[in-house]
Amino acid sequence: MRRAASLAENGTWWAPWIGGSLVGIVVLAALLGPLVVGADPNRQDLAHVLMGPSREALLGTDQLGRSVLARLVYAARLSLSLGAMAVAAAAIPGIALGLAAAFAGGWTDRLVSSLADAILAVPGLILVLLIAALAPGAFWPLFLGLSLIQWVEWFRMTRAASRSALASPAVEAARLLGFGPWHILYRHVLPDLLPLFGILGAFGLGSAVLSLSALGFIGFGLRPPTPEWGSMMVEMLPYWNEAPLALLMPPLCLLTLILGLQILARR
Amino acid sequence: MTLTIENLRIAAAGAVLVRDVSLTLEPYRTVTILGETGSGKTLVAEAAMGTVAPELAVSGRIADGGEISDAADQGARRGAWGRRIAMLPQEPWVSLDPTMRSLAQVAEGHRFVRGLGPGPARRQARADLASLNLAAGDDRYPHQLSGGMAQRVAFASARAGGAPITLADEPTKGLDATMRDAVVALLRKAVEEGGSLLCITHDIAVAKALGGEIIVMLKGEIVERGDADTVLVAPSHPYTRRLVAAAPENWPTATATATASVPGDVVLEGTELAVSRNGRRLFSDLDLAVRAGEWIGVTGPSGCGKTTLGNVLLGLMPPASGRVRRRAGVASTRFQKLYQDPVATFSRHVSLRTALAETTARHRVSFDDVMTLLERLRVPVALLDRRPDQVSGGELQRVSLARVLVAKPIFLFADEPTSRLDPITQQETMDVMREVTRERGCGTLLVTHDRTMAERITERRITLGSDLA
Repeated sequence: MRRAASLAENGTWWAPWIGGSLVGIVVLAALLGPLVVGADPNRQDLAHVLMGPSREALLGTDQLGRSVLARLVYAARLSLSLGAMAVAAAAIPGIALGLAAAFAGGWTDRLVSSLADAILAVPGLILVLLIAALAPGAFWPLFLGLSLIQWVEWFRMTRAASRSALASPAVEAARLLGFGPWHILYRHVLPDLLPLFGILGAFGLGSAVLSLSALGFIGFGLRPPTPEWGSMMVEMLPYWNEAPLALLMPPLCLLTLILGLQILARR
Repeated sequence: MTLTIENLRIAAAGAVLVRDVSLTLEPYRTVTILGETGSGKTLVAEAAMGTVAPELAVSGRIADGGEISDAADQGARRGAWGRRIAMLPQEPWVSLDPTMRSLAQVAEGHRFVRGLGPGPARRQARADLASLNLAAGDDRYPHQLSGGMAQRVAFASARAGGAPITLADEPTKGLDATMRDAVVALLRKAVEEGGSLLCITHDIAVAKALGGEIIVMLKGEIVERGDADTVLVAPSHPYTRRLVAAAPENWPTATATATASVPGDVVLEGTELAVSRNGRRLFSDLDLAVRAGEWIGVTGPSGCGKTTLGNVLLGLMPPASGRVRRRAGVASTRFQKLYQDPVATFSRHVSLRTALAETTARHRVSFDDVMTLLERLRVPVALLDRRPDQVSGGELQRVSLARVLVAKPIFLFADEPTSRLDPITQQETMDVMREVTRERGCGTLLVTHDRTMAERITERRITLGSDLA
C-alpha cells in the first residue's frame, strides 16, 4: 500500500535515477570527454572523410575528416555551459523582480508584470532570432536572447508563488509579531520557492539547449567550425547514406539530455 | 428498513481502531454517535457505506433491509448507495456540482438512481425543493446559493434516490447556531417522515436536539449507550460526564469565575466603525472600547463581518469609515491575533522550537520564560521538536498562545480559536487562555459562532449581523 501511495504522489521512484543517469552521461562526457578523446574537434583530415568507426575516431569522421566523437563532446560542453549561463542569467533577474513585485505590489508589480507580458507576446525563438541578427554567429546575442525569453518564466512563477506565501496566515502572524521582510523572505517565502527553482532550472536548461540546436539547425547559430549539435546535423544531412552514424549521433545526444532533464523536472 | 451493524471491528497495522461495535437503527429512530477526534466514530459510518480505506482490515456484519453482507466485503455495500442509505455531505458547497443548477442536481438522483423518466424526475425534484422552501432557488448554481440553501439542496439531492436511511457525519461542523438549528430540523423531518438517521457528531447540543439513542465512543470502543434523555442528563461513564460538562451550555458563567473583574484602562478604542464587503455594508456606527484584562465576545452568523471587525481593530485592514485608536506609546507588536487554524500560522518547514526561539530572539525574551509558560499551558516539551502539522490542534493552539504572549500583548484578537477542537479540548484551551490573558491584563476580543460559549466566558458581547437576513 505504501508503495502504491508513493507512486501516486511522486511518480515512479526510479524516475529520478533514470533522469539523473541520462543527464549524468551528457554532463560527464562534457566534463571528461575532451581529456579522454584527445582529438582536436576542428582538425581536418581530408584524406579520411566520412569514415566509419576506427581506433582514431570511435564514431567515424565527418565530411572534412574531423572526429565525430570529439565534436560531439565539445558540442556538449558548449550546449551545457551556454544553457547553464542562460539559465543563471534568466534566474537571477527573474527571481529578484518576482520577489520585488510580490513584496512591493502596486506600481512596481504592475510595471514589471507588463514588461513580462510584453516579452511573452513575442514568440520566444523569433526574439532570439531578432537579437542574433545583430551579430550573426556570435556567442553573446544567443546568450542574451535566451536569457531574455527565460527570465519571464522565472519572474512569473516566483511572483505567483511568493504572493500566495505572503497572503498566508503564517506571514500575517509573523508581521504582527514584528518580524521584518528579510525574516519573512527567508523563513516563509524561500522554502516554498526552492523546489520550484529546481523544476524551472531543469526545464530552462533543456529549452535553452534545444533552442541553441534549433538555431544551429536553421543556420542562425554559432559560426562554423564551432562544434554544435544543431549545425552538425545540418552539415551531415547530404551524407546521410555514407555516414549515417555521424548524422544520428547529434540528435541522439540532444534527446538524451532533454529527456533526462524533463524526467528530472517532472518529479 | 432497518440498518444493523454487528460486531464491527476495524484494525490498522498494529492498532485496533474500532472494537466490537454493534447497533440497530429502526425506522422513525435516530442513533447519534458521540466522540472526539480519533474515537473511531467516522469509521463506523464509513463501514456502513463500505468506504473504509482499503489498508484497514474490516470485519463484522452489516445488514440493511433483507441484504446481509460481510463488512469486509466493501464492494457489496455499493448497491445500497443512494437507494437504501444516503450520505449527507459535510460541506455541501464543495459536494455540489458547480456547473449544475439546483433543480437538475436534485432531479439527477430521481432519474438515474430511482429510475424515473426525465419529466417526472424534474417534477419530483421541484416538489422536493419546494418542501424545503427552496422553490425560488431551483434555477440557481451553487455559487449563487447561501450556505443554508446549499445545505438544503445537498440534502435534497442526497435523498433523491429514495434512501430511507440517512447517514450524517458531522453535519453541523463549523456552522453558526442558526444554520445548525436548520440542519437539525432537516434531519428531524427526515426521521419523522419514516426514515432513520445515523448521526456522527461531537456537538452535545446537536445530540440533544436530535434525541433517540446515544452511543458514546472512546478510543474505538463504545463506553456508554442509551436514551438521549438518560445519557446526556445523567451520564454514568466518567468520559461521558466530562464530555457533557464540556458542552458550552454547561460551563460556569464568566461572572462567577471572574476573580478580578475590575476593568482596567482602555487599550484599544474603535469609534463609529463601519465595514463593507463587495459594496455591501456589513455594519456601521459601531463603538467599542477594549479594556485591559477583559473578554469581549463577538457573535453573529457567518459572513456578518466578525473577523473583519477584529482585523480592522488590529489595523490589518482599514475600516470603511470611523477610526481605531490604540493606547498611545505602546509598540504595535503588543496587539496580537490567534487564528482558527493554527497550523497555517507557523512555517511548515521548521520545528516549533525554532519558531518560538525566533520569536523570543526578536522580542529579547529569554527562552526559559517560554518554557515556563508552556509548562503552565500544559504543553509537553517533547512536542517542540515536531513540526506544526505533527501536533494536535489543541496543543498547537496553546503553542500559538505561548508564541503570541512573548510579545506581551495588551490586546488579543482570538478568531474562533477553538472551533476546530473537540469539546473537552475546547474547554481546556479556553480555560487556560482566559486565565493567562486575565492575569497579564490582556484585553481579548473573542470571535465565535457559538453564542452559548460567548455568554459563558465573556463579560460583554457584541452581536453583529442582526440586520442581515
